[in-house]
Amino acid sequence: MNQRHIFGTVFWLESAIAGGVFVVIAIILLVSLVRRRARVGLVASQRQDNRKLEISYAVVLAAFAAFLVSYTAWQNHRETGANASTAPAGHASSSAQGSGAPSKPVTVNVTAFQWCWQFGYPQAPGSLKVSDNCQGGKVPTLVVPTGREIRIHLTSKDVIHSMWVPALRYKMDAFPDHVNSFTIKIDKAGRWVGRCAEFCGERHSKMHFWLKAVPPDEYKHWVQQHAAHAGGAQA
Amino acid sequence: MTVPATSDPADTRTAEPDGWLGWLTTTDHKRIGLLTLATSVVLLFLMGILALIMRGQLAQPGEDLIDAHTYNQVFTIHGSGMIYLVMTPFAIGLGVYLVPLQVGAPALATPRTTLLGYWLYVLGALSMLCGFAIPSGAARSGWFSYPPLADSDYSPGAGPDLWVIGVAMSAIGILLMAWAVLWTVLRKRAIGMTMLRLPVFSWSMVVTCLMVLGAFPSLLAALVLLALGRGDPAIFDSNVWNIGYQHLFWFYGHPVVYVMFFPYLAAVAEVLAVFCGRRFFGYKATVLSLLVFAALSMSVWGHHMFTTGQASNDYYSLTSILLTVPAGAEYFGMLGTLVGGRIVFRTPMLFALAFIPQFLIGGLTGIMTGTPVIDYHVTDSYFIVAHFHYTLFAGSAFGLFAAVYYWFPKVTGVMLDERLGKIHFWLLVVGANLTFLPMFGLGYKGMPRRVNTYSSVDGFGLLNLLASCGAAVLAAGMIVFAVNILRSLLRRRRGGLAPMPDNPWNAHTLEWATSSPPPPENFTPDRPLPPITSNAPLLDLPMAQKEAEGANPGKTAQPGEPAGPAERSGL
Repeated sequence: MNQRHIFGTVFWLESAIAGGVFVVIAIILLVSLVRRRARVGLVASQRQDNRKLEISYAVVLAAFAAFLVSYTAWQNHRETGANASTAPAGHASSSAQGSGAPSKPVTVNVTAFQWCWQFGYPQAPGSLKVSDNCQGGKVPTLVVPTGREIRIHLTSKDVIHSMWVPALRYKMDAFPDHVNSFTIKIDKAGRWVGRCAEFCGERHSKMHFWLKAVPPDEYKHWVQQHAAHAGGAQA
Repeated sequence: MTVPATSDPADTRTAEPDGWLGWLTTTDHKRIGLLTLATSVVLLFLMGILALIMRGQLAQPGEDLIDAHTYNQVFTIHGSGMIYLVMTPFAIGLGVYLVPLQVGAPALATPRTTLLGYWLYVLGALSMLCGFAIPSGAARSGWFSYPPLADSDYSPGAGPDLWVIGVAMSAIGILLMAWAVLWTVLRKRAIGMTMLRLPVFSWSMVVTCLMVLGAFPSLLAALVLLALGRGDPAIFDSNVWNIGYQHLFWFYGHPVVYVMFFPYLAAVAEVLAVFCGRRFFGYKATVLSLLVFAALSMSVWGHHMFTTGQASNDYYSLTSILLTVPAGAEYFGMLGTLVGGRIVFRTPMLFALAFIPQFLIGGLTGIMTGTPVIDYHVTDSYFIVAHFHYTLFAGSAFGLFAAVYYWFPKVTGVMLDERLGKIHFWLLVVGANLTFLPMFGLGYKGMPRRVNTYSSVDGFGLLNLLASCGAAVLAAGMIVFAVNILRSLLRRRRGGLAPMPDNPWNAHTLEWATSSPPPPENFTPDRPLPPITSNAPLLDLPMAQKEAEGANPGKTAQPGEPAGPAERSGL
C-alpha cells in the first residue's frame, strides 16, 4: 500500500502546514479587528509599504515553495519509482519486502466500460477474465495476492473512466486507445470498494468494483479454480 | 434615468432613445456594465436553484427526487452557468462599469463592440439554457465536457450542441468586452493617471483582461474540436484528440479561475482600504504580484491532468505551488492594510473580511491538489468540489457581494439596507461553511463528484445532510439579498429618500469624485476630475476641498449646459 503510505505522509504534512498558516492569519485578522476598531483617538496609518519586509517575506515564501515542490516531487518519484520496478530480481521497492525473494509481479489488465469493469489475468491459464454488469448490486471483484507487486494495465472501451480505490488513496484515468500502467502492492488481506471517479454518463454512480486481497496460496487456488471455468467467465 | 441634452452633435452617447430601446442599444459603458451585471445576477439565482435541486437529491442516500439523466443536466448547467455565465461576466461587467470612471475617462474605448459582446453573452446564455426545453434535455457531460463522452455517439441530442454554441458565443462576448476594458486602461486614462496611479481594481482588470485574451482563444479551439467531434465522433477514437482536448480546455480552464478571482480580490482590496480609512498597504507589491500570478497562471494547466498519466507531474506541480508566492504577497497587502487601519464595520467590509479566511481555505487546499501524490486521491472527488467552492463561492462570491454593497450607492444613488445586509452576510457565512466544509470529509472518505446518488452503506449520509442544510441556509440568505436590492430600488422609484452624499463611504478613487449615479459623460464641468496625484486621489485632496465636496448635494449636469469633453487637467 505504497500509495497510501506516501499520501498519508504528504497529506498530513501539508495539512499541518496549512493549519499553521490558517491559524497565524486568523490571529492577525482577529487581533487587528479588535485592536483597530474605529474609535475616538485611533488614527489610521498612512504608511504605503514596507519594502524590506515585503522582499524578505517573498524570499521566505519562495524558499518554502521550493522545499514543498522538491519534497513532494521526491515522494511522487518514490511512488512511480516503485511502479517501474517490474524487474523480477533486485531493486528493493520502498515498502517493506515480503519474507521471500520478490517474485514476478502479477499482471492484471483492467478494462473500464459503460458502466462496469473487466479484469483480465493474462498470466493465468486460458487468459482468465472476470466481469459483471454493475446492476442490482452485482459488481465484479478484482482478486489479487497480498505481498506481491501487482502491475495494472488500465484502459477503456468507450469513454474516459477513472479507477479509484479510496482505501489505497490512489486513482488513475482509463482512456480509450491508451493504456496507463501502475503498480500496487497490498500488505494485508481484505476487501475494499473501488469506484469510477471520472464522470462517464448515466450510470456513473453505480460503476463500482471490489478489490479483494488474499494470501498468495489462496490466490493460486482461486486462479486455478476460475481458470478451469474459463469458458464460463463472461467477457 | 434622464439624459441631458447636448450641444455636441458628435457625442452620440447622449443621443440615445428613451426607455427600453435606449437600454438595449446603449453605448454608455455604465448601461452596458449594468446590463451585464444584472443579467449575471439573475443567472446567479437560477444557477443557485439548480444547486438546491442537487442538494435536495443528495441530502440522503438512495433518494429518487430526480433521475440520473436529469441530475446530469442539472450539474452540467449549474457548473457551466456559474463559470461561463455568472462569475466571469460579472467580473468583466464590473470592469466595464467601473474602469472608465476609475481612470477618469468619459467613455469606454470601443462601446459598440462591447455592446455586441454583451448581446453575444446573452444569446449564449439563452442557447445553453434552451437545452432544458427540448425532449432529450440540456447538455449533460459536465462543464468541461470531455470527449469522447461529449461527442454525438455518447451524448446524442441537440442539448450538447446548444451548449457548444452557447459557450462559444458567451466566450466571444467576454473576449470583446475584455478587449474594450483593457484598451480603455491603456489608451483612455486621464492626464495625470499614470499606470502606477491606477486603483487596485483597475489593475486587476488589466491583468484579468490579459488572461482573457491569452486563454479564451484556447477555449474556442477546444469547442471547435468538440463541434467537429459532434459531427464525426470517429476522431475521438484516437487518444491524441481526447488528451489534446483536455490540454486545450485547461489552458483556458486554469487562467479562467483567476479571471473569476482577481476582480473580486481587488474589490475586496478597495473595500478594505476604504473601511480602514487608509491607502491599500503594499500597492506596488500587489500590482507586481498580480502580474506574476497571471503569467504563472498560463503555465499550470496540467495540474488538472495528473491522473491522466499523460502530463508532466513535476513541471505542473512546480508552477502550481510557485503560485503561493504572489498569492502570499496579496494576503500580505490585505492583512497589512488591516493591521494599521481604523476599521469601520459596514456590510461591504464584513464581506471583505470574511473573504480573507474563507478564500484562504480554498487556497491552502489548492496547494494540496497541486501536489500529485495528494491529487491522486482527492481529484474528481468531493474534496475538489469543496476546494473550488471555497475559492469561488466562499471567496470570489463574497468579493462579489462586497462589491455589490460597496458600489450599489454609486450606481443607483441609494444605499442598501444595513440591517438586511448584515442578516444576508451572517446567513451566507454560516451557509457557505456548513455546505462546503463537510464536502472535504466526503471526498476524503471516497465520494466521487458528479454522482446522482449514493448507497446507505457508504457512510456519506450525515455529511451530505449537513451540506444540504447549509444549502438551505444559503438560499435563505440569498432571499434576503434579493429583498434588499428590490426594496432599495422600489424606494428610489417612489422617491422621498433622504438625499445620499455622492461619496457615502469616504472612498478614495475617482469614480466617487463624480455624482452618484454618474452623468453620461462621467465627469462634467460641474463635477470635474480632481487632481490625480496617487492611486487614492480623493485621499490627497486638502481638507477644505473635501468639505466642499461633501456639502455638494451632487446634481448631475443641468440640461442645456454644454457637456463637452470632460475637463482633463487638475484644477
